[in-house]
Amino acid sequence: MSSYLIGLGAGIAVVLLIAAIVKLRTRGSPMSVAEKAEYLSKRRARMLPALAVIFLSQQATFFSQMSSSGHISAEKAKISAWLVLSIVLLAALASKGFWLEPKEVRDLVDDENTRANRNEAMRWGFLFSMGTAIAVYILTMFDTVTGREAVHLVMSSGIATALIRWGILERRAHKDA
Amino acid sequence: MPKRLANRLKERRAELGLTQAELAERVGVTRKTVNTVENGVFTPSATLAIKLAGALGLSVEQLFWIER
Repeated sequence: MSSYLIGLGAGIAVVLLIAAIVKLRTRGSPMSVAEKAEYLSKRRARMLPALAVIFLSQQATFFSQMSSSGHISAEKAKISAWLVLSIVLLAALASKGFWLEPKEVRDLVDDENTRANRNEAMRWGFLFSMGTAIAVYILTMFDTVTGREAVHLVMSSGIATALIRWGILERRAHKDA
Repeated sequence: MPKRLANRLKERRAELGLTQAELAERVGVTRKTVNTVENGVFTPSATLAIKLAGALGLSVEQLFWIER
């Protein structure tokens, strides 16, 4: 089997495992829709910066591997796993998230303030992506940058910035006066 | 000159003996949103402002005003 497919499969398996753990942790706890939305919202505020750190640390691994030799099987698997994580994080940023929760909980956890915070985070993510793209473009005038490296850099900066910014805004919103 | 949307959400909520969570449930948002509106961190949409005013038995103008 191709190493890329193994990586894709591993990435999807990890995502499904995390989703199952999250679902099982809240199962059976007698919470109203509002309480559950509040609980999930607070947990998301804590999780977002942690996700950004995990995502960025994966990039560090990618670049340290790339600088050594060509594409060995393990690298291909890592690249595919990174792709899955990137898609999941992008989907979480662009949608209401909490896909396994009931619709009423998802609607409430994505209320007006959350949408405003998410839009602001996406704006920051877009600007940082564009800034990184410009930096990479300038870098190519002096050094060789492969397409894959450029994509990694642009996506990493955009997604990580959006995650961190959203986390900061959500934590601030939860803080009492 | 910077303009800020001030409100008397907290006072009115206290008058009615409501918690942030109870008010949030009445207008269909999370407690976080009520908290940010109360603190002036978040400017609500017209829809939410009308819902909040309705839930607190006031007009939008009585609940919100622009501070100059």
